[in-house]
Amino acid sequence: MPPPEPDDLRRLGERIDEAGRRRTQGSKSAPPTSLDIAARFGTELMAAILMGAALGWGIDWAFDHWSHLQTRPWGMVVMFVLGAAAGIRNVMRAAQEINAKMAGKDVEK
Amino acid sequence: MAMNPMEQFEVKPLFQHPLLNIAGHDIYFTNQALFMCVVVAAISLFLTLTVSKNRLVPTRGQSMAELSYEFVANMINSTMGEDGLAFFPFIFTLFMFVLFSNLLGLVPWTFTVTSQIAITFALASIVILTMIVTGFMKHGLRFLTLFVPKAPWYLLLLLVPIEVISFLTRPISLSVRLFANMLAGHTLLAVFASFVILLGLAGIVPLLMIVAIFALEMLVAFLQAYVFAILTCIYLNEALHLHDHH
Repeated sequence: MPPPEPDDLRRLGERIDEAGRRRTQGSKSAPPTSLDIAARFGTELMAAILMGAALGWGIDWAFDHWSHLQTRPWGMVVMFVLGAAAGIRNVMRAAQEINAKMAGKDVEK
Repeated sequence: MAMNPMEQFEVKPLFQHPLLNIAGHDIYFTNQALFMCVVVAAISLFLTLTVSKNRLVPTRGQSMAELSYEFVANMINSTMGEDGLAFFPFIFTLFMFVLFSNLLGLVPWTFTVTSQIAITFALASIVILTMIVTGFMKHGLRFLTLFVPKAPWYLLLLLVPIEVISFLTRPISLSVRLFANMLAGHTLLAVFASFVILLGLAGIVPLLMIVAIFALEMLVAFLQAYVFAILTCIYLNEALHLHDHH
């Protein structure tokens, strides 16, 4: 049977736990800087627009290559617009996450 | 004198002869491959050596290893809940790999693995594929309702393609964020370093700037590893708990 824990060691453990709790709470509520937010929004918007344009280009290419339908440039036009919409959707979602984080709540997703 | 700030990102083979030949492509052992091996070796050494003498009151090294373990475990617990802990090995590996690549890249004369889009995109693809496989295994075809928001049917014709594109951009934004941060930081350091040489005695000013930027880059190295890991958690959570927020 191990010897009982000395009192001061247990007190030290309690203090360490408390300090740990304090620190995790502090780091959780730290808001992202405006540079972080700008970079996040930028990549989200850019990625979606590029993705939409690339998909549209791919659709046009596929129709051109495997069928006689001439969709060019309509696939790219439509998908570019949808991509831009998806980008704005991404930015809105990112903004919601950041708002939730700043309000001190957990990210609801 | 080498003044090209992009030179540090050049991938070049270390040996004259290719390692393998796959479908007509020569596969060389590059400086990038070498530094990925270094990163993996450094992580393994760090985690095994520091906890080899398991003490009740940890040494500095042991508490560093324990801290990184608890940090990731807490992150998973707070974003995915208890059942997310099944993904602990995956997320811990990703986090440590990105963190050590970022930090080792800051040592002079090393190569920053995470400044290559090929590497970060491969990591992001693994994350998204894991998410898709998990989603289909747990929910079957019901996982596809991820793309169907609550809306009247005539709006769904427009919204479903938008949601699909939005989903497809995830690996891009995940990989571009990490890669662009590392690329920009290291380029900035190299540009300022060339000013030091050009300006002679007045070079002390950019030298001080480099010290400040270097400190910032240390922060970015940690932050980007954290962001990569937490976004992985958020995505996997969506696959695990489909539509739980409704």
